[in-house]
Amino acid sequence: MDMLINPTVVELSRLQFALTALYHFLFVPLTLGMTFILATMETVYVITGKQIYKEMTQFWGKLFGINFALGVATGLTMEFEFGTNWSMYSHFVGDIFGTPLAIEGLMAFFMESTFVGVMFFGWERMSRKAHLVVTYLVALGSNLSALWILIANGFMQDPQGGTFDPNTMRMQFSSFIELIFNPDAQAKFVHTSIAGFVTGSMFVMGISAYYMLTNKRKDMALRSFRIATLFGVISSIGVITLGDALGYIDGQKQPTKLAAMEAIWNTDYNTVSASWNLIAIPSRSEQKNIFEVSIPYILTPLLTHSETTVIPGIIQLEQEAKPKIVNGIKAMIALKEYNLDRSNTQALSTFKQYENDMGYGFLAMQFAPDQDLKKINATNLPSVLDKTAKDTIPNVWVEFWAFRLMVAAGFFMLALFAFAAYFSLKNEIEKHPTLLKLAMWSIPLPWVACEFGWITAENGRQPWTVFGWLPTFVSASSHSVGYMVFSLIGFTLLYSSFIAAELYLMFKYARLGPQDDHHGHGHGSAPAGGGMAGQPVFAKPSMDRK
Amino acid sequence: MKNLLTFIGLAAIMVLSLFLAVITGDYGPWYFAWLVGTTMVVLISAAGAIMFDRQDEEQQQKQGSIH
Amino acid sequence: MDAYIYLKIFWFLILGILLMGLAIMVGMDMGVGTLMRFVGKTDGERREALNIVGPHWDGNQVWFILGGGAIFAAFPTLYATSFSVFYIVMILLLFSMIMRPVAFEYRSKVPSHRWRDSWDWVFLISGALPMIVYGAAMGNILEGVGFHFGWDGQYYQTESFIWYLLNPFAILCGVLSLSLAIYQGGTMLMIRGSGALYDRARNYASVGGVAALVLFVIGGFMVSGMKGFQLITGDPGMPANPVSGQTVTLANGAWMANYSAHPILWLVPLLGLAGMVLGVLALRANKPTLGWWMGALAWIGTIGAVGTSMFPFLMPSTDNINQSLTVWNSTGSEYNLIWMTIFGLIFLPIIISYTTWCFRVMRGKVAAPDTQDDHAY
Repeated sequence: MDMLINPTVVELSRLQFALTALYHFLFVPLTLGMTFILATMETVYVITGKQIYKEMTQFWGKLFGINFALGVATGLTMEFEFGTNWSMYSHFVGDIFGTPLAIEGLMAFFMESTFVGVMFFGWERMSRKAHLVVTYLVALGSNLSALWILIANGFMQDPQGGTFDPNTMRMQFSSFIELIFNPDAQAKFVHTSIAGFVTGSMFVMGISAYYMLTNKRKDMALRSFRIATLFGVISSIGVITLGDALGYIDGQKQPTKLAAMEAIWNTDYNTVSASWNLIAIPSRSEQKNIFEVSIPYILTPLLTHSETTVIPGIIQLEQEAKPKIVNGIKAMIALKEYNLDRSNTQALSTFKQYENDMGYGFLAMQFAPDQDLKKINATNLPSVLDKTAKDTIPNVWVEFWAFRLMVAAGFFMLALFAFAAYFSLKNEIEKHPTLLKLAMWSIPLPWVACEFGWITAENGRQPWTVFGWLPTFVSASSHSVGYMVFSLIGFTLLYSSFIAAELYLMFKYARLGPQDDHHGHGHGSAPAGGGMAGQPVFAKPSMDRK
Repeated sequence: MKNLLTFIGLAAIMVLSLFLAVITGDYGPWYFAWLVGTTMVVLISAAGAIMFDRQDEEQQQKQGSIH
Repeated sequence: MDAYIYLKIFWFLILGILLMGLAIMVGMDMGVGTLMRFVGKTDGERREALNIVGPHWDGNQVWFILGGGAIFAAFPTLYATSFSVFYIVMILLLFSMIMRPVAFEYRSKVPSHRWRDSWDWVFLISGALPMIVYGAAMGNILEGVGFHFGWDGQYYQTESFIWYLLNPFAILCGVLSLSLAIYQGGTMLMIRGSGALYDRARNYASVGGVAALVLFVIGGFMVSGMKGFQLITGDPGMPANPVSGQTVTLANGAWMANYSAHPILWLVPLLGLAGMVLGVLALRANKPTLGWWMGALAWIGTIGAVGTSMFPFLMPSTDNINQSLTVWNSTGSEYNLIWMTIFGLIFLPIIISYTTWCFRVMRGKVAAPDTQDDHAY
């Protein structure tokens, strides 16, 4: 290594990636859910032929469009940043991580983006059924897109389907089946996609509630409300079930994430009476919770779905890491020798012996004198081991609270959807203005849950970019701080003006509501033509051809 | 001819769905759950909307009979 | 030759096709963005211009994303190194690529003149800047870039970005790329536009075509004289690791070596020249559809000529010439390339067929939307 890794650059790169990812993730969930809700509305239109459902699809489609543009735009940043800011990461796993991203473009993103134009502008240019198929293709495309991205993410969480090759100094693709059927990727895709459904449902339900409260286009609001609540109630159940499954899978593969998520410092070998922390204030320096409210007897069945599995605590996990770090240091030193001289078979066989722990050697680099593992000797080894072992644990405070906020928001939304669906089905939702107000004010909740969910997943993966193999510290590009300041300022300026414009337009159109207010409640079932006056005309290109 | 094409098209979709179901059912239980679950959510919400229209018509008839 | 070598060459060709597809389709939208302020004097005309590419810009932009994804997977080290080394210009490119979709969605949603005029500036910048960067990056790569690798495959950069931004050859390539985009965008405006818009678009496109022709010829002479790279030893079937395993020399005129070895390759740049000449003639004869295809040919010839000169180099290094990135030392693994090939062969025909369908459904002339109408772009 001829230049030292600058920790400031690594931290700034992390900051930039986290900010741009969280920002991108403001738009994704709504796209995932709204496309299927639009498809549902249009399905009812095609089945019943009632014009009101077409109007609904077009009206909600317009709000969806405002959101979709930013989703596409900010998604581009994510793809670029792997190359611009995480060069060592891209070099190390590009052979396997890049593939799902490329397939995503080929299979999903092309479909979604090509058909979305036709969905907006093609209403008058094809039959109803053909247009419905187009809408479904947009919905399928956006969710398939999420599928491939999360398959890639699944590899970061639990690297399956790749093996390290000392000759190319990277992880190479070895099994397509293992990559796409990685349990982590599976559970995460379903969890994320359905979280998107919940977001879409909350958005439609909340805005419909607002129209009811302000007496705007109740015919449309009531129908949208019905669809959204049913959509939401089933999706909320799904998202919680899958969240539980995801926690279970992650717990097996990433015990450090699980321990941090639940703020478990010491292993409790009595699995029956082990207690679960409802609230805690974890302290990293003291390696314990300063304050906690816990419930005995439920920890083991809650987390491991068994009564006998022991959940290792943070302190034990740190101790377990130490022998791996010792092996990892040997592996990395041998790997470097082999790469400087390919005929050194002795070094190669030493590397092979400790290969599985090489990531821990990488991790120890930042604590070695001059970031050089060869300078670790008997005197400084204990301190390197200690620091590296502590570094294997993610930030407990962030992990614990991000997880709890997500779960709380999830259960609250389930309850809200359940009540709203019940009263909507009884057709007496308008008699409950408090519930309508609550629905309206709860619109931001799914976003809160989604963002904290992302933080739980990705903060919990630290200190790794590829769990157990590549630490975040060595993944970044070898930039100067100046480069990072330049791009961070740019992103901040650009992204804040975008969000301002987006919110301005979203509020403007949501307040304006569907434009035709001629018919009152209940007459929406009037045959085609009844409400055509103010009906949005999406297809603008005129039909006359030269 | 058009009927035949429709038939072939639908048959192809059916075969593809069965194939997908078998593969995901075997290797990817959660993927399978997503396919089934999403279809279910869409159908139930659509049915809910159609039910609303029915309720709405009944209500109007009731009001109509009072007048 | 073993299968791995064929796969490497195959993916080099795919890379070329993606760069061409990107240049033609995205370049066209960028050209329209650049020209909008000039071809549209009234708001109505500007909206007409926007709606001409309205239904397709999003699908076209995917070429860009697909290109990025394909380079990431098929050439991981090239992706990691080039994006990082060109950090400042890549970030500028990125900023303009994310401003454009937002401009499309938001511009016509508010009737205020100031709002719309501001977004029109965004269209100009986010159309012209990426095309200049695209060309300038290719120019820089022809000249070689200052970087080298550590033992673990991490790159280190030694030259400042000012140098690679400000050098005459790179600027020439940037302007060439912009001219071709203006040509392609103007041609599209002619195909679907009418009236004054059509006439202005015709003039700008013709100017773009002639400028491209002149710059392409000058650029060609510059390339033939500049220091090129030549691979002396390097096993095409080697495991993809750029750190060691190759020897490279620098020689004046080395970028012409492939042409001298296989004179038939001269057809590639000639194809580009023919596209530019015939394209301008087609526009003068009011045959914009023919002109569009000629513009595509011009792009294919231009990018093809660069690829032909450089093969097997992808990104030569001036810092440690032996660590230059080539087709042989920076691709993905064989297993990965096989899977990518399978997916490409299945999905590319599907993509092409539905894209064609969408263009057919949405074809026809475009009228300017009403000022208050916020459902069109």
